[in-house]
Amino acid sequence: MRAAILSAVLAGVIGVVGLATLGTAHARDPLPFERGSWSKLRMAHAEQPTVVHFWGLTCGPCLVELPNWGKLLAERKDLHLVLLAADPLPQQPEQLAATLDRAGLGSAESWAFTDRFYERLRYEIDPAWAGELPRTEMIARDGTVTVLRGVADLAKVRAWLDAQAASHPPAMR
Amino acid sequence: MRRLTLLTFASLTLAGLAAAQPHQHGMDGAMGGTHETLSATPAFAPDGTLWLAQTEADRVVVAKSTDLGKTFSPPVSVTPGPINVDWGPDSRPQIAVDRDGHLIVTYAVFQDKRFNGRVYYTRSTDGGLSFAPPRPITADSTSQRFQATAIDSDGRLFAAWLDKRNVGSAVAAGRSYSGAALAYAWSNDDGATFADTRIAIDNTCECCRLAVAFAGPGRPAVLFRNVFTGSVRDHALVTFKDPTTPGPMHRVSVDDWKIEACPHQGPSLAIAPDGSYHAAWFTDGTARQGLFYARADNADAPFSAPRALSSPDHQPARPYLLANGKALHLVWKEFDGDRTRIQWEVSHDGGRSWSTARTIADTADASDHPLLVADKDHIYLSWVTKNEGYRLIPLETSP
Repeated sequence: MRAAILSAVLAGVIGVVGLATLGTAHARDPLPFERGSWSKLRMAHAEQPTVVHFWGLTCGPCLVELPNWGKLLAERKDLHLVLLAADPLPQQPEQLAATLDRAGLGSAESWAFTDRFYERLRYEIDPAWAGELPRTEMIARDGTVTVLRGVADLAKVRAWLDAQAASHPPAMR
Repeated sequence: MRRLTLLTFASLTLAGLAAAQPHQHGMDGAMGGTHETLSATPAFAPDGTLWLAQTEADRVVVAKSTDLGKTFSPPVSVTPGPINVDWGPDSRPQIAVDRDGHLIVTYAVFQDKRFNGRVYYTRSTDGGLSFAPPRPITADSTSQRFQATAIDSDGRLFAAWLDKRNVGSAVAAGRSYSGAALAYAWSNDDGATFADTRIAIDNTCECCRLAVAFAGPGRPAVLFRNVFTGSVRDHALVTFKDPTTPGPMHRVSVDDWKIEACPHQGPSLAIAPDGSYHAAWFTDGTARQGLFYARADNADAPFSAPRALSSPDHQPARPYLLANGKALHLVWKEFDGDRTRIQWEVSHDGGRSWSTARTIADTADASDHPLLVADKDHIYLSWVTKNEGYRLIPLETSP
Protein backbone atom coordinates (compact mmCIF):
# COMPACT_ATOMS: atom_id res chain seq x y z
CA MET A 1 0.00 0.00 0.00
CA ARG A 2 2.73 2.39 1.08
CA ALA A 3 4.79 1.37 -1.92
CA ALA A 4 1.84 1.99 -4.17
CA ILE A 5 1.37 5.46 -2.77
CA LEU A 6 5.07 6.18 -3.08
CA SER A 7 5.09 5.08 -6.70
CA ALA A 8 2.08 7.21 -7.38
CA VAL A 9 3.78 10.20 -5.81
CA LEU A 10 6.97 9.51 -7.74
CA ALA A 11 5.04 9.12 -10.94
CA GLY A 12 3.41 12.45 -10.22
CA VAL A 13 6.75 14.11 -9.59
CA ILE A 14 8.26 12.66 -12.73
CA GLY A 15 5.19 13.72 -14.65
CA VAL A 16 5.48 17.24 -13.33
CA VAL A 17 9.18 17.47 -14.10
CA GLY A 18 8.50 16.12 -17.56
CA LEU A 19 5.77 18.65 -18.16
CA ALA A 20 7.93 21.48 -16.91
CA THR A 21 10.71 20.45 -19.26
CA LEU A 22 8.37 20.09 -22.19
CA GLY A 23 6.52 23.31 -21.40
CA THR A 24 7.06 26.43 -23.46
CA ALA A 25 9.99 28.55 -22.38
CA HIS A 26 9.13 31.15 -19.81
CA ALA A 27 10.61 32.82 -16.78
CA ARG A 28 11.85 30.71 -13.92
CA ASP A 29 9.33 29.49 -11.40
CA PRO A 30 9.34 31.50 -8.18
CA LEU A 31 11.38 30.19 -5.27
CA PRO A 32 9.20 28.51 -2.65
CA PHE A 33 8.68 30.84 0.29
CA GLU A 34 8.37 28.73 3.41
CA ARG A 35 8.97 29.02 7.14
CA GLY A 36 12.38 30.59 7.63
CA SER A 37 12.59 31.95 4.06
CA TRP A 38 12.25 35.57 5.14
CA SER A 39 15.41 35.53 7.22
CA LYS A 40 17.24 33.79 4.36
CA LEU A 41 16.02 36.41 1.94
CA ARG A 42 17.07 39.23 4.27
CA MET A 43 20.45 37.61 4.85
CA ALA A 44 21.07 37.22 1.13
CA HIS A 45 20.46 40.94 0.65
CA ALA A 46 22.20 42.16 3.78
CA GLU A 47 23.85 45.55 3.34
CA GLN A 48 22.26 45.95 -0.07
CA PRO A 49 19.35 48.37 -0.40
CA THR A 50 16.50 46.11 -1.48
CA VAL A 51 12.88 46.64 -2.44
CA VAL A 52 10.57 43.71 -1.71
CA HIS A 53 7.27 43.99 -3.51
CA PHE A 54 4.47 41.74 -2.23
CA TRP A 55 1.88 40.96 -4.86
CA GLY A 56 -0.63 38.28 -5.74
CA LEU A 57 -2.19 36.66 -8.77
CA THR A 58 -5.53 36.94 -6.96
CA CYS A 59 -5.08 40.67 -6.35
CA GLY A 60 -6.52 42.85 -9.11
CA PRO A 61 -4.71 46.09 -8.22
CA CYS A 62 -1.44 44.15 -8.07
CA LEU A 63 -1.80 42.99 -11.65
CA VAL A 64 -2.50 46.54 -12.80
CA GLU A 65 0.54 47.81 -10.91
CA LEU A 66 3.10 45.16 -11.93
CA PRO A 67 4.05 46.60 -15.36
CA ASN A 68 4.98 49.88 -13.62
CA TRP A 69 7.46 47.94 -11.54
CA GLY A 70 8.75 46.37 -14.75
CA LYS A 71 9.36 49.85 -16.20
CA LEU A 72 11.05 51.04 -13.02
CA LEU A 73 13.31 48.01 -13.03
CA ALA A 74 14.38 48.79 -16.60
CA GLU A 75 14.89 52.45 -15.72
CA ARG A 76 16.82 52.11 -12.47
CA LYS A 77 19.90 49.92 -12.56
CA ASP A 78 20.29 50.55 -8.83
CA LEU A 79 16.94 48.88 -8.03
CA HIS A 80 17.43 45.52 -6.37
CA LEU A 81 13.89 44.22 -6.61
CA VAL A 82 12.52 41.08 -5.04
CA LEU A 83 8.98 39.96 -5.88
CA LEU A 84 7.08 37.92 -3.35
CA ALA A 85 3.70 36.45 -4.31
CA ALA A 86 1.64 36.23 -1.12
CA ASP A 87 -1.72 35.01 -2.40
CA PRO A 88 -4.09 33.82 0.31
CA LEU A 89 -3.92 30.42 -1.36
CA PRO A 90 -0.76 29.27 -3.16
CA GLN A 91 -0.99 29.72 -6.92
CA GLN A 92 0.54 27.78 -9.78
CA PRO A 93 4.23 28.70 -10.12
CA GLU A 94 4.07 28.70 -13.93
CA GLN A 95 1.24 31.21 -13.86
CA LEU A 96 3.08 33.45 -11.43
CA ALA A 97 6.23 33.32 -13.56
CA ALA A 98 4.32 34.03 -16.77
CA THR A 99 2.59 37.02 -15.18
CA LEU A 100 5.89 38.50 -14.02
CA ASP A 101 7.39 37.86 -17.43
CA ARG A 102 4.60 39.78 -19.14
CA ALA A 103 5.16 42.70 -16.77
CA GLY A 104 8.84 42.88 -17.67
CA LEU A 105 9.85 41.31 -14.37
CA GLY A 106 10.96 37.91 -15.64
CA SER A 107 14.58 38.55 -14.64
CA ALA A 108 13.87 39.75 -11.11
CA GLU A 109 14.31 37.57 -8.03
CA SER A 110 10.95 35.99 -7.32
CA TRP A 111 9.42 34.04 -4.45
CA ALA A 112 5.94 32.70 -3.75
CA PHE A 113 4.12 31.53 -0.63
CA THR A 114 3.90 27.74 -0.81
CA ASP A 115 2.97 27.03 2.81
CA ARG A 116 -0.71 27.26 3.73
CA PHE A 117 0.22 28.34 7.25
CA TYR A 118 0.37 31.90 6.02
CA GLU A 119 -0.17 33.35 9.48
CA ARG A 120 3.31 32.11 10.26
CA LEU A 121 4.85 33.36 7.01
CA ARG A 122 3.36 36.80 7.52
CA TYR A 123 4.38 36.87 11.15
CA GLU A 124 8.00 36.29 10.20
CA ILE A 125 7.83 39.23 7.80
CA ASP A 126 5.80 41.58 10.03
CA PRO A 127 3.57 40.40 12.90
CA ALA A 128 1.09 43.18 12.24
CA TRP A 129 0.68 42.46 8.52
CA ALA A 130 -2.78 40.99 8.03
CA GLY A 131 -2.11 39.97 4.45
CA GLU A 132 -3.38 42.89 2.39
CA LEU A 133 -1.86 43.26 -1.04
CA PRO A 134 -0.12 44.98 -2.69
CA ARG A 135 2.55 45.97 -0.22
CA THR A 136 6.13 47.11 -0.60
CA GLU A 137 9.00 47.02 1.87
CA MET A 138 12.04 49.13 1.13
CA ILE A 139 14.96 47.81 3.15
CA ALA A 140 17.91 50.18 3.54
CA ARG A 141 21.52 49.16 3.85
CA ASP A 142 21.31 49.38 7.63
CA GLY A 143 18.17 47.23 7.72
CA THR A 144 15.71 50.08 8.23
CA VAL A 145 12.39 49.08 6.66
CA THR A 146 10.01 51.56 5.02
CA VAL A 147 6.59 50.07 4.25
CA LEU A 148 4.38 51.30 1.41
CA ARG A 149 0.87 49.91 1.83
CA GLY A 150 -1.35 49.44 -1.18
CA VAL A 151 -0.32 50.43 -4.70
CA ALA A 152 3.12 52.01 -4.40
CA ASP A 153 3.78 55.61 -5.28
CA LEU A 154 6.83 55.01 -7.47
CA ALA A 155 8.00 58.59 -6.95
CA LYS A 156 8.59 57.56 -3.34
CA VAL A 157 10.53 54.52 -4.48
CA ARG A 158 12.71 56.67 -6.78
CA ALA A 159 13.32 59.16 -3.98
CA TRP A 160 14.25 56.31 -1.66
CA LEU A 161 16.67 54.90 -4.25
CA ASP A 162 18.22 58.35 -4.68
CA ALA A 163 18.65 58.62 -0.93
CA GLN A 164 20.31 55.21 -0.80
CA ALA A 165 22.73 56.19 -3.58
CA ALA A 166 23.46 59.55 -1.91
CA SER A 167 24.26 57.87 1.39
CA HIS A 168 26.59 55.49 -0.37
CA PRO A 169 28.21 56.92 -3.53
CA PRO A 170 28.45 54.50 -6.48
CA ALA A 171 32.26 54.55 -6.35
CA MET A 172 32.10 52.91 -2.96
CA ARG A 173 29.93 50.01 -4.09
CA MET B 1 -14.98 1.31 9.39
CA ARG B 2 -16.70 4.30 10.83
CA ARG B 3 -13.37 5.48 12.19
CA LEU B 4 -11.90 5.19 8.75
CA THR B 5 -14.80 7.13 7.37
CA LEU B 6 -14.16 9.94 9.78
CA LEU B 7 -10.53 9.94 8.81
CA THR B 8 -11.42 9.94 5.19
CA PHE B 9 -13.75 12.86 5.54
CA ALA B 10 -11.94 15.09 7.93
CA SER B 11 -8.30 14.26 7.68
CA LEU B 12 -7.21 12.08 4.83
CA THR B 13 -8.15 14.50 2.08
CA LEU B 14 -6.43 17.35 3.83
CA ALA B 15 -3.43 15.27 4.77
CA GLY B 16 -3.15 13.99 1.23
CA LEU B 17 -3.13 17.48 -0.15
CA ALA B 18 -0.69 18.55 2.50
CA ALA B 19 1.69 15.77 1.54
CA ALA B 20 1.58 16.98 -2.02
CA GLN B 21 2.69 20.44 -0.92
CA PRO B 22 4.62 22.50 -1.56
CA HIS B 23 5.75 21.69 -5.07
CA GLN B 24 2.57 20.34 -6.57
CA HIS B 25 3.04 21.85 -9.98
CA GLY B 26 0.29 21.01 -12.37
CA MET B 27 -1.83 19.13 -9.87
CA ASP B 28 -4.40 21.84 -9.52
CA GLY B 29 -7.70 22.69 -11.09
CA ALA B 30 -8.06 24.97 -14.05
CA MET B 31 -8.15 28.14 -12.03
CA GLY B 32 -4.69 27.92 -10.60
CA GLY B 33 -5.33 27.58 -6.87
CA THR B 34 -4.26 24.49 -5.00
CA HIS B 35 -7.83 24.14 -3.76
CA GLU B 36 -6.75 22.95 -0.36
CA THR B 37 -9.82 24.57 1.03
CA LEU B 38 -9.63 23.44 4.65
CA SER B 39 -13.19 24.49 5.23
CA ALA B 40 -16.30 22.88 6.66
CA THR B 41 -19.59 24.63 7.33
CA PRO B 42 -21.79 23.15 10.09
CA ALA B 43 -25.52 23.11 10.77
CA PHE B 44 -27.58 21.15 13.28
CA ALA B 45 -30.83 19.50 12.25
CA PRO B 46 -33.83 19.64 14.61
CA ASP B 47 -33.08 16.04 15.67
CA GLY B 48 -29.56 16.94 16.83
CA THR B 49 -27.76 15.55 13.79
CA LEU B 50 -24.70 17.60 12.87
CA TRP B 51 -24.33 18.27 9.14
CA LEU B 52 -21.17 19.51 7.47
CA ALA B 53 -20.79 20.93 3.99
CA GLN B 54 -17.23 20.87 2.74
CA THR B 55 -15.40 21.71 -0.46
CA GLU B 56 -13.01 19.13 -1.76
CA ALA B 57 -10.73 19.59 -4.76
CA ASP B 58 -13.49 19.87 -7.35
CA ARG B 59 -16.72 19.09 -5.56
CA VAL B 60 -18.87 19.94 -2.58
CA VAL B 61 -19.75 17.14 -0.19
CA VAL B 62 -22.05 16.74 2.78
CA ALA B 63 -21.69 14.35 5.69
CA LYS B 64 -23.53 13.89 8.95
CA SER B 65 -22.59 13.00 12.49
CA THR B 66 -24.94 11.69 15.14
CA ASP B 67 -22.28 11.69 17.86
CA LEU B 68 -21.27 15.37 17.89
CA GLY B 69 -18.53 15.14 15.33
CA LYS B 70 -16.73 12.05 16.58
CA THR B 71 -17.64 10.01 13.52
CA PHE B 72 -19.18 10.93 10.18
CA SER B 73 -21.25 9.18 7.54
CA PRO B 74 -19.57 8.65 4.16
CA PRO B 75 -19.61 12.00 2.33
CA VAL B 76 -22.27 12.48 -0.32
CA SER B 77 -21.39 14.73 -3.25
CA VAL B 78 -23.91 17.47 -3.97
CA THR B 79 -22.20 18.32 -7.25
CA PRO B 80 -22.78 15.78 -10.02
CA GLY B 81 -19.56 16.58 -11.90
CA PRO B 82 -16.28 18.40 -11.25
CA ILE B 83 -16.59 22.10 -10.45
CA ASN B 84 -14.20 25.05 -10.25
CA VAL B 85 -14.65 25.74 -6.55
CA ASP B 86 -14.51 29.39 -5.52
CA TRP B 87 -11.50 29.13 -3.21
CA GLY B 88 -11.52 32.76 -2.05
CA PRO B 89 -10.38 32.89 1.59
CA ASP B 90 -13.79 34.14 2.70
CA SER B 91 -15.80 31.81 0.46
CA ARG B 92 -17.35 28.57 1.69
CA PRO B 93 -20.33 26.38 0.96
CA GLN B 94 -23.36 27.14 3.08
CA ILE B 95 -25.78 24.64 4.56
CA ALA B 96 -29.15 25.21 6.21
CA VAL B 97 -31.45 22.59 7.69
CA ASP B 98 -35.14 23.43 7.85
CA ARG B 99 -37.78 22.26 10.32
CA ASP B 100 -38.52 19.18 8.24
CA GLY B 101 -34.86 18.18 8.21
CA HIS B 102 -34.43 19.13 4.54
CA LEU B 103 -30.92 20.26 3.66
CA ILE B 104 -30.30 23.31 1.50
CA VAL B 105 -26.72 23.64 0.27
CA THR B 106 -25.33 26.59 -1.67
CA TYR B 107 -21.87 27.04 -3.11
CA ALA B 108 -19.99 29.25 -5.55
CA VAL B 109 -17.80 28.34 -8.50
CA PHE B 110 -15.42 30.45 -10.56
CA GLN B 111 -16.64 30.95 -14.11
CA ASP B 112 -13.41 32.39 -15.47
CA LYS B 113 -9.92 33.57 -14.51
CA ARG B 114 -11.17 37.01 -13.48
CA PHE B 115 -12.88 35.70 -10.34
CA ASN B 116 -16.40 36.00 -11.69
CA GLY B 117 -18.44 33.52 -9.74
CA ARG B 118 -21.74 31.71 -10.00
CA VAL B 119 -23.75 30.64 -6.98
CA TYR B 120 -25.65 27.35 -7.13
CA TYR B 121 -28.16 25.81 -4.76
CA THR B 122 -29.44 22.31 -4.25
CA ARG B 123 -31.66 20.53 -1.77
CA SER B 124 -32.03 17.12 -0.21
CA THR B 125 -35.42 15.96 1.00
CA ASP B 126 -34.31 12.42 1.85
CA GLY B 127 -31.98 13.07 4.75
CA GLY B 128 -28.89 13.79 2.68
CA LEU B 129 -28.98 10.57 0.66
CA SER B 130 -29.40 12.45 -2.60
CA PHE B 131 -29.46 16.03 -3.82
CA ALA B 132 -31.42 17.73 -6.58
CA PRO B 133 -29.38 18.82 -9.61
CA PRO B 134 -27.78 22.16 -8.57
CA ARG B 135 -29.29 25.27 -10.16
CA PRO B 136 -28.00 28.83 -10.37
CA ILE B 137 -29.49 30.97 -7.61
CA THR B 138 -30.22 33.75 -10.08
CA ALA B 139 -30.77 34.02 -13.84
CA ASP B 140 -28.17 36.75 -14.35
CA SER B 141 -24.83 35.18 -15.16
CA THR B 142 -22.48 38.14 -14.59
CA SER B 143 -21.04 37.14 -11.23
CA GLN B 144 -22.22 36.05 -7.80
CA ARG B 145 -20.04 35.17 -4.82
CA PHE B 146 -20.04 35.01 -1.01
CA GLN B 147 -23.59 33.73 -0.61
CA ALA B 148 -25.04 33.52 2.86
CA THR B 149 -28.21 31.59 3.64
CA ALA B 150 -30.37 31.62 6.75
CA ILE B 151 -33.83 30.48 7.78
CA ASP B 152 -36.03 32.91 9.74
CA SER B 153 -38.27 31.99 12.68
CA ASP B 154 -41.20 31.42 10.30
CA GLY B 155 -39.11 28.87 8.42
CA ARG B 156 -38.52 31.02 5.34
CA LEU B 157 -35.22 30.67 3.55
CA PHE B 158 -33.27 33.85 2.77
CA ALA B 159 -30.15 34.15 0.63
CA ALA B 160 -27.87 37.15 0.16
CA TRP B 161 -24.75 37.43 -1.99
CA LEU B 162 -22.43 39.86 -3.76
CA ASP B 163 -23.49 40.36 -7.35
CA LYS B 164 -21.80 42.18 -10.23
CA ARG B 165 -24.75 42.53 -12.62
CA ASN B 166 -24.76 46.32 -12.30
CA VAL B 167 -21.10 46.71 -13.23
CA GLY B 168 -21.71 46.02 -16.91
CA SER B 169 -24.60 48.44 -17.29
CA ALA B 170 -22.68 51.18 -15.49
CA VAL B 171 -19.63 50.74 -17.68
CA ALA B 172 -21.81 50.63 -20.80
CA ALA B 173 -23.28 53.97 -19.74
CA GLY B 174 -19.81 55.42 -19.32
CA ARG B 175 -19.84 55.35 -15.53
CA SER B 176 -17.42 53.61 -13.27
CA TYR B 177 -18.73 51.15 -10.69
CA SER B 178 -16.89 50.33 -7.50
CA GLY B 179 -17.17 46.86 -6.03
CA ALA B 180 -20.34 44.79 -6.33
CA ALA B 181 -23.95 44.90 -5.14
CA LEU B 182 -25.67 43.26 -2.20
CA ALA B 183 -28.28 41.02 -3.82
CA TYR B 184 -30.89 38.84 -2.16
CA ALA B 185 -33.67 36.39 -2.85
CA TRP B 186 -36.20 34.42 -0.81
CA SER B 187 -37.39 30.90 -1.32
CA ASN B 188 -41.14 30.52 -0.98
CA ASP B 189 -41.07 26.74 -1.32
CA ASP B 190 -38.57 25.61 1.31
CA GLY B 191 -35.54 25.80 -0.91
CA ALA B 192 -36.96 24.02 -3.97
CA THR B 193 -36.56 27.30 -5.90
CA PHE B 194 -35.55 30.90 -5.26
CA ALA B 195 -37.82 33.79 -6.22
CA ASP B 196 -36.67 36.87 -8.13
CA THR B 197 -33.37 38.45 -7.24
CA ARG B 198 -33.38 42.02 -5.94
CA ILE B 199 -30.52 44.39 -5.32
CA ALA B 200 -30.51 45.90 -1.85
CA ILE B 201 -27.44 48.13 -2.11
CA ASP B 202 -24.90 49.01 -4.79
CA ASN B 203 -21.14 49.45 -4.38
CA THR B 204 -20.30 47.02 -1.64
CA CYS B 205 -16.83 45.53 -1.31
CA GLU B 206 -16.65 42.54 -3.65
CA CYS B 207 -14.44 40.05 -1.86
CA CYS B 208 -15.55 39.71 1.76
CA ARG B 209 -18.06 37.36 3.32
CA LEU B 210 -21.48 38.68 4.40
CA ALA B 211 -22.99 38.28 7.86
CA VAL B 212 -26.74 37.64 8.17
CA ALA B 213 -29.00 37.60 11.24
CA PHE B 214 -32.73 38.17 11.73
CA ALA B 215 -34.36 41.13 13.47
CA GLY B 216 -37.64 39.22 13.20
CA PRO B 217 -39.47 36.95 10.75
CA GLY B 218 -39.06 38.30 7.22
CA ARG B 219 -36.62 40.90 8.51
CA PRO B 220 -33.04 39.92 7.75
CA ALA B 221 -30.15 42.15 8.73
CA VAL B 222 -26.98 42.05 6.68
CA LEU B 223 -23.59 43.33 7.81
CA PHE B 224 -21.07 43.84 5.01
CA ARG B 225 -17.95 45.69 4.01
CA ASN B 226 -19.09 48.65 1.98
CA VAL B 227 -17.18 50.88 -0.42
CA PHE B 228 -17.59 54.43 0.87
CA THR B 229 -16.44 57.48 -1.10
CA GLY B 230 -12.75 57.35 -1.91
CA SER B 231 -12.55 53.53 -1.81
CA VAL B 232 -12.88 53.50 1.98
CA ARG B 233 -13.89 49.94 2.85
CA ASP B 234 -15.63 50.19 6.22
CA HIS B 235 -18.59 48.20 7.50
CA ALA B 236 -22.26 48.97 7.02
CA LEU B 237 -25.48 47.38 8.19
CA VAL B 238 -28.89 47.15 6.57
CA THR B 239 -31.99 45.80 8.30
CA PHE B 240 -35.00 44.94 6.18
CA LYS B 241 -38.32 46.60 7.07
CA ASP B 242 -40.11 43.69 5.42
CA PRO B 243 -38.98 40.84 3.17
CA THR B 244 -38.48 43.06 0.11
CA THR B 245 -37.75 46.47 1.63
CA PRO B 246 -34.19 47.04 2.75
CA GLY B 247 -34.01 49.76 5.39
CA PRO B 248 -31.46 52.57 5.45
CA MET B 249 -27.77 51.76 5.47
CA HIS B 250 -25.97 52.49 8.75
CA ARG B 251 -22.20 52.76 9.01
CA VAL B 252 -21.04 50.63 11.92
CA SER B 253 -17.73 52.36 12.44
CA VAL B 254 -15.56 55.00 10.78
CA ASP B 255 -12.32 53.07 10.54
CA ASP B 256 -11.31 54.91 7.40
CA TRP B 257 -9.71 51.95 5.70
CA LYS B 258 -8.90 53.29 2.26
CA ILE B 259 -7.69 50.39 0.16
CA GLU B 260 -7.83 49.76 -3.58
CA ALA B 261 -7.74 46.05 -3.01
CA CYS B 262 -9.58 43.11 -1.58
CA PRO B 263 -9.23 42.68 2.18
CA HIS B 264 -10.71 39.13 2.04
CA GLN B 265 -11.98 39.69 5.58
CA GLY B 266 -15.72 39.83 6.18
CA PRO B 267 -17.61 40.61 9.41
CA SER B 268 -19.86 38.72 11.81
CA LEU B 269 -23.26 39.78 13.15
CA ALA B 270 -25.59 38.55 15.90
CA ILE B 271 -28.93 39.91 17.07
CA ALA B 272 -29.82 39.00 20.67
CA PRO B 273 -33.38 38.22 21.84
CA ASP B 274 -33.54 41.73 23.37
CA GLY B 275 -33.08 43.16 19.86
CA SER B 276 -29.54 44.37 20.44
CA TYR B 277 -27.08 44.17 17.54
CA HIS B 278 -23.55 42.83 17.84
CA ALA B 279 -20.86 43.26 15.23
CA ALA B 280 -17.26 42.10 14.96
CA TRP B 281 -14.93 42.96 12.11
CA PHE B 282 -11.38 43.39 10.91
CA THR B 283 -9.95 46.68 9.71
CA ASP B 284 -6.61 48.21 8.88
CA GLY B 285 -7.87 51.78 8.71
CA THR B 286 -6.19 54.99 9.71
CA ALA B 287 -8.55 55.28 12.70
CA ARG B 288 -7.86 51.80 14.06
CA GLN B 289 -6.20 48.54 13.08
CA GLY B 290 -7.02 45.00 14.09
CA LEU B 291 -10.14 43.17 15.18
CA PHE B 292 -13.05 45.00 16.82
CA TYR B 293 -16.42 44.51 18.48
CA ALA B 294 -19.28 46.97 18.90
CA ARG B 295 -22.93 46.77 19.98
CA ALA B 296 -26.08 48.77 19.33
CA ASP B 297 -29.35 48.73 21.30
CA ASN B 298 -31.41 48.20 18.14
CA ALA B 299 -31.36 48.46 14.35
CA ASP B 300 -31.41 52.25 14.32
CA ALA B 301 -29.31 53.00 17.40
CA PRO B 302 -25.70 54.03 16.91
CA PHE B 303 -23.02 51.45 17.56
CA SER B 304 -20.84 51.75 20.63
CA ALA B 305 -17.20 52.74 20.36
CA PRO B 306 -15.30 49.78 18.86
CA ARG B 307 -13.49 47.60 21.39
CA ALA B 308 -10.23 46.02 20.25
CA LEU B 309 -10.08 42.23 20.47
CA SER B 310 -6.45 41.30 21.04
CA SER B 311 -3.51 43.23 19.64
CA PRO B 312 -2.83 43.86 15.93
CA ASP B 313 0.56 42.15 16.13
CA HIS B 314 -1.21 38.86 16.93
CA GLN B 315 -2.97 38.93 13.57
CA PRO B 316 -6.45 38.66 15.14
CA ALA B 317 -8.93 37.73 12.40
CA ARG B 318 -12.07 35.80 11.39
CA PRO B 319 -14.46 36.78 14.18
CA TYR B 320 -17.69 34.87 14.72
CA LEU B 321 -20.62 35.90 16.94
CA LEU B 322 -23.61 33.83 18.00
CA ALA B 323 -26.51 34.74 20.28
CA ASN B 324 -28.19 31.85 22.05
CA GLY B 325 -30.77 32.65 24.69
CA LYS B 326 -29.25 35.19 27.02
CA ALA B 327 -25.69 34.20 26.19
CA LEU B 328 -23.69 35.91 23.50
CA HIS B 329 -20.59 34.12 22.29
CA LEU B 330 -17.65 35.56 20.36
CA VAL B 331 -14.65 33.72 18.94
CA TRP B 332 -11.77 34.69 16.67
CA LYS B 333 -8.40 33.34 15.69
CA GLU B 334 -5.01 34.84 16.34
CA PHE B 335 -1.37 33.83 16.01
CA ASP B 336 1.31 34.11 18.68
CA GLY B 337 4.36 33.45 16.53
CA ASP B 338 4.08 29.71 17.00
CA ARG B 339 0.46 28.60 17.24
CA THR B 340 -2.89 29.77 15.95
CA ARG B 341 -5.32 30.07 18.85
CA ILE B 342 -9.08 30.33 18.97
CA GLN B 343 -10.04 32.91 21.57
CA TRP B 344 -13.49 32.87 23.17
CA GLU B 345 -15.45 35.48 25.13
CA VAL B 346 -19.01 35.27 26.45
CA SER B 347 -21.44 37.99 27.58
CA HIS B 348 -24.59 37.60 29.68
CA ASP B 349 -25.71 41.22 29.62
CA GLY B 350 -26.34 41.85 25.94
CA GLY B 351 -22.73 42.59 25.12
CA ARG B 352 -22.19 45.34 27.70
CA SER B 353 -19.58 43.30 29.54
CA TRP B 354 -17.59 40.27 28.44
CA SER B 355 -15.57 37.52 30.04
CA THR B 356 -11.79 37.61 29.69
CA ALA B 357 -10.71 36.00 26.44
CA ARG B 358 -9.78 32.35 26.82
CA THR B 359 -8.05 29.98 24.38
CA ILE B 360 -10.36 27.06 23.61
CA ALA B 361 -8.41 25.40 20.79
CA ASP B 362 -5.12 25.84 18.99
CA THR B 363 -3.03 24.38 16.20
CA ALA B 364 0.47 24.62 14.75
CA ASP B 365 -0.40 24.68 11.08
CA ALA B 366 -2.99 25.98 8.61
CA SER B 367 -6.60 26.25 9.71
CA ASP B 368 -10.11 27.27 8.67
CA HIS B 369 -12.04 30.18 10.13
CA PRO B 370 -13.56 29.35 13.52
CA LEU B 371 -17.35 29.05 13.33
CA LEU B 372 -19.99 28.77 16.03
CA VAL B 373 -23.02 26.52 15.71
CA ALA B 374 -25.96 25.98 18.04
CA ASP B 375 -28.00 22.88 18.82
CA LYS B 376 -30.85 24.16 20.95
CA ASP B 377 -29.19 25.32 24.20
CA HIS B 378 -25.74 24.06 23.33
CA ILE B 379 -23.13 26.09 21.49
CA TYR B 380 -20.11 24.59 19.78
CA LEU B 381 -16.96 25.78 18.12
CA SER B 382 -16.66 24.13 14.70
CA TRP B 383 -13.10 24.21 13.36
CA VAL B 384 -11.03 22.41 10.72
CA THR B 385 -7.27 22.38 11.06
CA LYS B 386 -4.69 20.74 8.82
CA ASN B 387 -3.08 18.83 11.68
CA GLU B 388 -6.11 17.82 13.76
CA GLY B 389 -8.85 17.57 11.13
CA TYR B 390 -12.38 18.47 12.18
CA ARG B 391 -13.20 19.43 15.77
CA LEU B 392 -16.53 20.24 17.43
CA ILE B 393 -15.82 21.76 20.82
CA PRO B 394 -18.65 22.48 23.29
CA LEU B 395 -18.66 25.93 24.88
CA GLU B 396 -19.80 26.36 28.43
CA THR B 397 -22.36 29.03 29.14
CA SER B 398 -19.87 30.66 31.50
CA PRO B 399 -16.07 30.73 31.21
